[in-house]
Parts: sequence; structure tokens; C-alpha cells
Amino acid sequence: MGSKYPRSMRGCLPLWTLILEAALIVIFFFFANYDSSSQDPKKIVVTHGAILQDVMVMAALGMGFLTSSLWRYGWSSVAFNLFMLALGVQWAVLLDGFLEHPPSWKVVIKLSRIQQATMSAMSVLISAGAILGKANLAQLVLMVLMEVTAFSAMRMISRQFLVADNHVSMMYIHVFAAYFGLTVAWCLSRPLPKEAEEKEQRTTSPSLFAMLGTLFLWMFWPSFNSALLTIPHERKNGVFNTYYALAVSAVTAISLSALTHPQGKISMTHIHNAVLAGGVAVGASCHLIPSPWLAMVLGLVAGLISIGGAKCLPVCFNRVLGIHDTCGVHYTFGLPGLLGGIAYIGLMVHKISWSKNTMLGFQVLFDTGVLSLSMAMGLASGLITGLILNLKIWKAPHVAKYFDDQAFWEFPHLAVGF
Amino acid sequence: MSFATNMRFKFPLMAIGLEVAMIVLFGLFAIFNWCATAHWCTTKLFKTASNIVNHCYRYSLPLFQDVHVMIFVGFGFLMTFLKKYGFSSVGINLLIAALGLQWGTLMQGILHSHGHKIHIGIKNMINADFSTATVLISFGAVLGKISPLQMLIMTIIEIAVFAGNEHLVAEIFKATDIGASMTIHAFGAYFGLAVAGVLYRPGLRRGHDNEESVYHSDLFAMIGTLFLWIFWPSFNSAIAEAGDKEYRAVVNTYFSLAACVLTAYAFSSLVEHRGKLDMVHIQNATLAGGVAVGTCADMAIHPYVSMIIGSIAGMVSVLGFKFLTPVFATKLRIHDTCGVHNLHGLPGVVGGLAGIVAVVLGASDTFLGKHRTMRIFNFQSLCYFLLPRSTPAMQAAALGSSIGTALVGGLITGLILKLPIWGQPSDQNCYDDSVFWEVLCTVLNK
Repeated sequence: MGSKYPRSMRGCLPLWTLILEAALIVIFFFFANYDSSSQDPKKIVVTHGAILQDVMVMAALGMGFLTSSLWRYGWSSVAFNLFMLALGVQWAVLLDGFLEHPPSWKVVIKLSRIQQATMSAMSVLISAGAILGKANLAQLVLMVLMEVTAFSAMRMISRQFLVADNHVSMMYIHVFAAYFGLTVAWCLSRPLPKEAEEKEQRTTSPSLFAMLGTLFLWMFWPSFNSALLTIPHERKNGVFNTYYALAVSAVTAISLSALTHPQGKISMTHIHNAVLAGGVAVGASCHLIPSPWLAMVLGLVAGLISIGGAKCLPVCFNRVLGIHDTCGVHYTFGLPGLLGGIAYIGLMVHKISWSKNTMLGFQVLFDTGVLSLSMAMGLASGLITGLILNLKIWKAPHVAKYFDDQAFWEFPHLAVGF
Repeated sequence: MSFATNMRFKFPLMAIGLEVAMIVLFGLFAIFNWCATAHWCTTKLFKTASNIVNHCYRYSLPLFQDVHVMIFVGFGFLMTFLKKYGFSSVGINLLIAALGLQWGTLMQGILHSHGHKIHIGIKNMINADFSTATVLISFGAVLGKISPLQMLIMTIIEIAVFAGNEHLVAEIFKATDIGASMTIHAFGAYFGLAVAGVLYRPGLRRGHDNEESVYHSDLFAMIGTLFLWIFWPSFNSAIAEAGDKEYRAVVNTYFSLAACVLTAYAFSSLVEHRGKLDMVHIQNATLAGGVAVGTCADMAIHPYVSMIIGSIAGMVSVLGFKFLTPVFATKLRIHDTCGVHNLHGLPGVVGGLAGIVAVVLGASDTFLGKHRTMRIFNFQSLCYFLLPRSTPAMQAAALGSSIGTALVGGLITGLILKLPIWGQPSDQNCYDDSVFWEVLCTVLNK
């Protein structure tokens, strides 16, 4: 290993970013166009504009502050998040347009497309939680490009070959992103020195900032789950079910967090992550669930899994495999996402067996296919990305500089209390 | 120089007096009208009154709320970066925004209604929020060096001048400025700079101990940045015509902001040593794209053009922070606390220039933009004469008048505020909450 002094980003980051932005502008110049269709535009702006805004709040504020719980990494969490979002959205808009069926070379920019792109870009924000504090901005740029491409490809495949609809293929974002992030974290894992582990401690006021992010995610999650549902009554169901699942998982998370502590105290880290598990778990099936109690059961189980994961995973799973999952994306998004996928398959089976349809086997096959595809795609593309990120050319931060803002930020005067 | 900073009688008297005056003026001039500007309601769908009210209300209210969030949360938290000035940043922000939106409703209403009663609808409320935005921008320039009482006076004068300038730009020049790059951002920034120039404190030439940030105050400021960033598309499209124009305003602003983030990070890394990032740049320059695209947001420019505008704005803003602000503070004796010149002033001018170029290139004639297929020469030339359109000269005049009135108004306001009776803090008490707020000692010593 080279010197412990953080390596200069000056030659690397501005060059890459400016070239990338110029390239994006050129691609937009050739391929992007306004929507000039004759649908009632007023309605489109009102409905899609509102949902777009909700999704943006979740992506920029929620995901940004959710990961800001580290003692010395708050600036990077929030600011890198914004950067990845801005880049990811531009790239995702283009990809979504190109990979559309039938393939076309003109991307028509609709508000619904921007909204979908924002949701696709959220996959990167989720994965970034796993490698939080261990990668620099240049590495994150590459990760954004790789992951958004992989995610769009996965959605295209599941839409075209596995007859999954838009909503379901988007809702496997959690599984995909969590396993992508975990694989990248596995590739980047190095033994942490003592001082780096100290920096990973969470203290009171950063925890409050993370709570801000959690609350924003929690409030807007019903919009996220129902964003791609087009039929009004399905959308209504989606909002209600998500709402109840979130409420139940919040209660479960808080009570279980107290239960698992020797003195019955509540851990803030558990709260940050586990209260959201219900929203993740109910995602894929939120429009199919006929009555609230099912959603509430899902929320309960998701809360259980999430808290259980938070307790067991870092000890058993992560230590054995050598994965360091900074923000716990595995138990926040990964496991509840898997639960949601299984619940969706179960509900589909139930629905079809009632209607005495002979296509039962095919349907189960397809649904399982989508779930395993998203997981496999996440693992595979994560592996490739992780291997590329391991190359020396990225000037990755030294292990001693992990979880430290000072490697990336200019401090004019060493601030008090830092 | 020391001033009496005791606010016990001056401030309550002034604030209550102003509020009573507002109530009286509202009593005299304002009446309700839920559907004031949505003309199609009154013409096309004149079925049942309740239906119409319901529709307009539901249509415009979300936009109003977005703008409201930006004004109160976004601008408020954006200014909380100083280590001992968080209370004042958010608190005084709330105070002047609350006063400003009442006064703004009145001023704009009187200018637009030509002596009749003011019909207050959601659009008026959005416009009133816009007028407070100018004051909040100017507040950024004088942040920490001014008392709440002075801010009240500045609010009253600035909104009056703003309403006059906006009337001039919109009604007489007929210039388009949908996201108000010129009339709000450039105006507010140069007004604030002029005030800050007149109120320059030679004693603080070498800086002040409290004029710096701590780790968590910068994170608080980031909350403001993110709120502004998220809701900026609504800000630029709030008063756009529903339909195509509104859609374009949202899309253009969105992509301009996204492109701006990338260039801001790149240039921040480029100008700092060892390629690090500077939090001040990230907090402010990432928003410059929204400011700069304001004037031409609703025009039929292509998405890539808005991305170019955003990139230029991000670049200009970071370079302004790095090189222009020190020059302003030392050579021109203008001390700009928040760097509003770089976030609102320069990108606002960029937006004005972009608007001129866009009008020259014919992006603003919406009729032709919509019906491209009918672009035959005769028809086009016919439209050219028949449709009311903004001309490049008028756009330039709008930019000039915005900056001109802002500077003149700011100088006059500054001279008024320089009178030693408004309880301004002394030099060593600047940037300190404890002058005007009850603060716990433990917090201060930290």
C-alpha cells in the first residue's frame, strides 16, 4: 500500500465528470425530445408532477440523510447522494428510452419517464449504503453508470421475457440494489484498522439527522409503492396497504429493538432501518393484497426479519464472508425485499388457483424467474463493478481514511467539536 | 461604534404597527376570489360555482405548497451554516417571509388591479411568495450584520420596489421571465449587495470569529439546499400556463439542475487544492442551474440546451465563490455573507442572457413551436406580426431594469438602514444569536 496521505482527486474527478456531462449533453442533443403528443397535458403535469416530487423527496432528502448517521461522514453521505442522483437520473432517462419496446432511437421526455428514472436511480442510492465511506466520488461515478445500466437491463428483460409489469419489475429494485451493494462491498472489503472502526460509531446528533431521512422516507413511501400503478383502484390499494405495513413495521421495530437489548433499551440504528422494512416488503404485492390485515402481517414479519437481521447478520453472515455492510442495506432492503417477492408469488398463486386457471405453473415459474433474475443480476453486475472498482486507477481512499470526510472535503478551519 | 441593541420596545411596536396596517389595508382592498387567474374556468366551464372552485383549488394548491416549502424551509435552512446564527437564520427568515407575503399580496394586487379591489386567489398567493423570495435572497447578503428591525424595514421597501420592477418588466416591456431569473434572483441579489455595500463594516475587514461554520451547521444548511433542489421545478413552473408550457418548465428545470450538480462538483474539485470538495460550493452552486434556466424555462428550448445552461451556471457559480467573493470583500468593500451574488446574482444574469438568446432564436413563439408542421413561410411571417411576442431588446431591457432598480433601491434602503436608531449589532456582536435571542449558555460556550 502507498502512503497514508489521501490521494489527490484533482486530476481524476473533474476530468471524468466534465467529460461525462459533455457526453450526456451531446447524447441529449441527438436523441432526446420533448413530448408533443396530444394527451391532456394539464392532467399529466398535475398527477405525475406530484408523484415525481414525492419520489424526489425520498431520493434526495430521504436516502441522503438516512445514511448520514456516521460520526464523521455526514457531509459525504448527503452530498455524494445528491451527486449520484443527478447523474443517475440523466443516464436512466436515456437508457429507459433506448431499452423501451419497440426499440426507438428518439427518447421522448415525459414526466412519467423522469419519475421512473428517478426511481431507477434510487437503486444506486440504496447500494451506496453498503459501501458508504469506502469509495471515492470517481468510483461512485462508475458505480452509478454500471448499476443503472444493469438495473434498466434487468427491467427490460423481465418485462419482455418474463411478462412482469412495470410496477413489479420496479419493485424488485430493493433486492437488486441490496445484493449489488453487498457484492461490491465484498469486492472492496479489507480488514479495517481500529481507528476506522471507531469512526464508524454513531453519536446522538448525526443519528438525529439520519432520523430526518428515515421520517421523510417513511412519509413518502406510499407514493413510491403506488407510483407506477395505473389503475385507480389498484393505486388506492397500494397506498393503503403500504401505509398499514409501514405503521406495523414501525411498531414492531421499536418494540423488538427493546426486546433484543439486555436492558430493554431501544437502539437508534435499528429504528433507522427497520421501520422502513414494511414498505419494502409490501412493495411488489401492494396492489394485490385484498385486505389490510395481510399487509399488516407482512409489515410485522418484515420488522421481525429486519431486526433479527440487524442482530445476527453482522456477527454471522458478514464476518464469515468478509462483507462489511456499513449501513445495513442487507437487512433494510435485501431481506424484506426477498420476503416481498415471496409474498407476491404466494398471492399470485392464490389468485390464480381461485380462478381455476391452468396457467398456474407458468405463472409461478415466471414470478420466481423475475425474483431470481433480479437477485442474480444484482450479484453478477455487482461482482463486475466491484472488480473494476478494485483497480488502482481510481485512487481509492486508503483504509485508514475510511469513513472520514476529511479525505474528500475542504475544511477551511478545523471546526470545533469535529 | 456601538448601538443600543435592546429590542424591547422598538421591535414589538414596529411589528405590531405593521401588522395592524396590513390588516387595515387588507380590509380596504382585498376580497376573495378562488379562481382569479384561471380564465378557462370562467369562460369554458361555467357550470357550477363549487365545481370550479374545487378544481382550481386542487390544481393550484400543490404548486403553492411547493413554493411555500421552498420559501420557509429551503431558504431558511440554507442560511443556517453559521455556527452561532442558526436561530436568526430560520427565525428571521420566518418573520420576514410572513410579513413579506402580506405586503407582497397588497403591492402586486394594487399594481395589477388598477385601483379596483384585489381578488385574492391561489395565483396571488404564489406571486406573494415569489416577492418574499427577493427579500430572503437579499437577507443572505446582509446575514448576521443586521437587526430584525432593519429587516422589517428592508422587507417593506424591497417588496415595493420589486413589485414596481416586475410590473415594468411584465406589463410594459412584455418580457417573459417565467422562473423569474431576472426579476427575483438577479434583483434580490443586487439589491442585497447594494445594501451590504452601504452597510459595510470596516471593523470586520479581517473577518469575524463567528463568521464560520461548524460541521453540523453545514449539514443543516444542506437540508435547505436539498429542499430547494427538489422543489425548484415547481418554482419555475408555478405561474406558467397549464399544459405544454408548464410541462416544459418542469422538464427544463429538472435537467438543468441535474447537469448543474455534476459541473458544480467537478469545478469545486478543480479549484480546491488536492481536488477536495468545498461544502459552500455544494450547498449553493448545485442550485445555480435552477436560477439560470428560469427565464427560458417554459420556452421550446431543447432539453440539451437547458443542460448546457445548467452546466454554465454551475461553473460560473463555483468560480464566483472562489475568485469573485474575495475581490468583492476586499476591493469593492461589499461583504456578502451567504454569497448570494454567486448563487442568485450571476446565474440570474446568465439566465437573463440565455433568455435573450432564446428569444433571438425564436424559442419563445409558442404557437409555432406547437405546430411545427405548419411552418411554411407565409404563415410564419403572419404569426410574427400577429402574436404578441417578447423581443430581444425588451428582454435586455428587462434584465437592465431589474439590475438597475435593484441597485438604486438597495442604495437608498442601505442609507435608511444606516441611521443608528434601528438597533444594529455592534461589530463584535455580529453573527451571534445571543444579541437578539435568549440562548442557553451551555450552547454558546460549545
